[in-house]
Amino acid sequence: MKRATQATETPQVGRSVPRLESWLKVTGRAEYVHNLRLPGMLYGKIFRSTVAHGRIKRIDTAAAQALAGVYRVITSKEIIQLIAEPYFGPAFHDQPILAIDKVRYVGEPVAVVLASDPHVAEEAVHLITAEYEELPAVYGEVEAMTSKAIVHDVLRPAGTFPDLKHLKDRKNTNLALDFHLRRGDAAKAMKNAARVFEHTFTTQQVMHTPLEPLVSVAESTESSLTIHTASQSPSFVRIEIARLLGWPENRVRVRVPFLGGGFGAKLYIKLEALVSVLSLLTKRPVKVSLTMEEQFFTITKHASTFRIKSGVAPDGRIVARECEVWWNGGAYADIGPRVTQKSGFTAPGPYDIEHVAVDSYSLYTNLPPAGALRGFGIPQLVWAYEGHTDLMARELGIDPIEFRRRNLLREGRPQATGTVMKDAATEKVLERISALLDWGKPFDRGTGTVKKGRGIAIGFKACVSPTTSLAAVNVNADGSCIVYCSTADMGQGSDTAMAQIAGEVLHMAAESITVVHSDTDVTPYDMATLGSRSLFHMGNAVKLAAEDARNKLDVLRKELNLAADCPVSDIFKKKYGMQAGNVTGAGSYIPAYKSPDANGLTDNATPFWMVGGSGVEVEVDTETGKVRVTRLVNVADVGTPINPKIVETQISGAAIMQLGFTLHEKMEFDAQGQLRNASFAEYKIPGLLDLPGTMVNEAVMAEQKSGPFGGKGVGESGTFGVSPAIANAIHDAVGVRLTSLPLKAEDIWEKLK
Amino acid sequence: MAPFDLAQPRTLEEAFALLDAEGARPLSGGTALMLMMKAGVLRLERLVSLRNLGLDRIEAHGTLRIGAMTTLSTLERSPEVRKGWPVIARALRTLSNVRVRNVATVGGALAHADPHMDLPPLLSALGAKVVIQGRNGERTMAVEDLYAGYLENTLGKDLITHVEIPPLGKRGAAYLKCTTRSADDWPAVGVAVVLGEETRIFVSAATDRPTRIADENALTGLKIEGDLHGSAAYKRQLLKVYLRRAIDEARNASH
Repeated sequence: MKRATQATETPQVGRSVPRLESWLKVTGRAEYVHNLRLPGMLYGKIFRSTVAHGRIKRIDTAAAQALAGVYRVITSKEIIQLIAEPYFGPAFHDQPILAIDKVRYVGEPVAVVLASDPHVAEEAVHLITAEYEELPAVYGEVEAMTSKAIVHDVLRPAGTFPDLKHLKDRKNTNLALDFHLRRGDAAKAMKNAARVFEHTFTTQQVMHTPLEPLVSVAESTESSLTIHTASQSPSFVRIEIARLLGWPENRVRVRVPFLGGGFGAKLYIKLEALVSVLSLLTKRPVKVSLTMEEQFFTITKHASTFRIKSGVAPDGRIVARECEVWWNGGAYADIGPRVTQKSGFTAPGPYDIEHVAVDSYSLYTNLPPAGALRGFGIPQLVWAYEGHTDLMARELGIDPIEFRRRNLLREGRPQATGTVMKDAATEKVLERISALLDWGKPFDRGTGTVKKGRGIAIGFKACVSPTTSLAAVNVNADGSCIVYCSTADMGQGSDTAMAQIAGEVLHMAAESITVVHSDTDVTPYDMATLGSRSLFHMGNAVKLAAEDARNKLDVLRKELNLAADCPVSDIFKKKYGMQAGNVTGAGSYIPAYKSPDANGLTDNATPFWMVGGSGVEVEVDTETGKVRVTRLVNVADVGTPINPKIVETQISGAAIMQLGFTLHEKMEFDAQGQLRNASFAEYKIPGLLDLPGTMVNEAVMAEQKSGPFGGKGVGESGTFGVSPAIANAIHDAVGVRLTSLPLKAEDIWEKLK
Repeated sequence: MAPFDLAQPRTLEEAFALLDAEGARPLSGGTALMLMMKAGVLRLERLVSLRNLGLDRIEAHGTLRIGAMTTLSTLERSPEVRKGWPVIARALRTLSNVRVRNVATVGGALAHADPHMDLPPLLSALGAKVVIQGRNGERTMAVEDLYAGYLENTLGKDLITHVEIPPLGKRGAAYLKCTTRSADDWPAVGVAVVLGEETRIFVSAATDRPTRIADENALTGLKIEGDLHGSAAYKRQLLKVYLRRAIDEARNASH
């Protein structure tokens, strides 16, 4: 592979540097945990619950244990001998490593078979039987508010988040967090409004579907543990495993090579606690790699119900808004309570509304757990508020873009929390979508059985806060450079971006910089790779670390009486008499933040805003209800793009993923909580033939002044507008409004009949 | 998936002998079989590959004679097929995806008897026959007679060796399907139409096997199954629309 010359005056930021790892990936040499085999390694295969809610009466593992080649069968009985309270989770310590006493969803891990041959382990899993005393179950998020079926007997908040502490030891509830925001007097303003509109929207449970399924390997000694894992949050894994074992952090090492996609599925603890205890119990390395299909039973995206109500003044300005959102968290909270709050406070949308009330509820149900998925709840909210916006514009007889212009939340105006909008290009995004769709020009409405329509939608997101990133930048004696950071490159191109940021500071070609992947023995702490936070937080940390290294080199130059522009290698040669030594710069970044008060208000809710919107043109077949997206434009405010090509592919990737959630994907459960389509023959993600005829993906000219070189996150913004823009376009084409995702052709046909 | 033996016989006699064992099944492309084995639905001890039996040739002498082990992409790209039976090449282009077509075989696609598949209705409408080899000799059967129900064929322990398709000539033909989720989804309905003195119409996916109907009016009498792709009522509507469109396309088909 050709490497560019190291020292350069060419700007590194703003250049479409090809991915640093692309050569390794296309030649099959990039490191993935799936390829890791350790001497003496055992493979674990998971036996899962067949009932949605039940007390475990008996688990019979004798036949499995007796199968030739089986090393051992493990249930929670063995685990509690090692860890008395083997429950994990970022918000609640509610999830057992293997089910204890109770199972709470179909597919929950109950036992594990270990064998040197994974096929033998799998065969033995079929020989395990379990008996359950079935309990009443609850599946719907709204139903869970009042259901007599209670998923957890006692609530166990983890203690990390102050707004969950009051839930400790609560009984007889499925509520894992209720977030409330009150600004002004929404009820009164609603009464005085000229028009009032109310709608309810729902979204379905879907899955991340990374092409690399979840996988972890653990190896142990009596006093140390190394976990090789496809994780987006190595620092969290280390802290949580250390807590479970009662060990100091330095005895747990977490290594993360490349990830084959993450999208939020690989956060917090997934298989890491399981492989750790299996390795400690057997004193052998243990690997658990899920099949694609097992991922349905591991982590998913929240289904949701959103009731939204607005009061509008005679001039078409929205004066009051009430939002009630119910999030279906499944059997274990995972990061659901944070989705409920962090996304909840943006539920009123990017509109300037004086009187706002938000109630956002996180619910336990007897379905597979839900967590973070590309957007962290925002796509569910935008789906509702942008459908609502369009319906109001229609009723009021105002052009939908004009209606949005009239109400848009602009720079310098306070958002629902009271935090003032800063560096959030809502106007530019809206106007650019309008321009790309030629909104002002006449539109062909189609003929015969093919009707055409168009629609737009715009959403925004507050970056999760407060979170911390640390980085180190090492300059070697020959002037070459290594960046150490725990950001996981899961395909989003973070290695390349970090190298560009360090290269910009140190005047080095990004291609010549090495980025060391997460290894908690080596790379500094990072909260996690999630929520589009890394480019901003880790980018700032890398920038600070590179500046620190550069300053140290400048000090050395002065001390050694070297010219300010002398090559780096001369500094070390003069100081150490040969090519020796190095300089390490450190950077740490945590933005300012203020917790919301009792009314959910704060003047500093987030370090930066993400804005994303979409415009679509569709054709609807009036005889079948089939929808074809002929044009999809996605526009986002990403600050100043660090790598324009990667920015474009992040926007398009996010939009295509959301296209699948809009038109095809849905986990279909029966009345017993059994997933009816747990295979990729029956759960369809979009393929190449499903792409829109034309697709445009753009970042508007913008700058995030607090971001590294004006940049900020881009991983999720492309998801925001896609679903409501398509529903709005369908409405425009054939007059049919759907309020549930996915947008099924059959439902459109039903309404057209 | 449980470990299994893979046998690769070179003659049909050897293949039959190997298939006589308990837990043995023939293996052609394996695209359906492997999924069922991975899911634990089928637990087999021996797979008998039919790959080395010389059943992968396409011959066109008026009639198109296709070896059962011909892959779908070989069929799709065959110049004889494109010239004489272009409707087959067109249908194959939207059959699953290129990775599946590169390994799945014509014989397997017929024997599997999943009503959602594209070739059974199309080849039935084309009046195709299968040549079947049994332990006691050979017989020939119309493709539509292969099916006894959902995932049920009438082969017994015999093997399809060839498919024979009569000349299409200048007759118009079309195959249309409707997927209701992604483009590469299993279809909710399939409709094959071959015009001529005797118009042949077959519907699939909505029914438990490829089913011949006389004309549009015969749709009302069909037993239609609802599933994750659509309710029975919706599939009935799709059939009505796609049948009319398929007839139009067949009328306009030129080759």
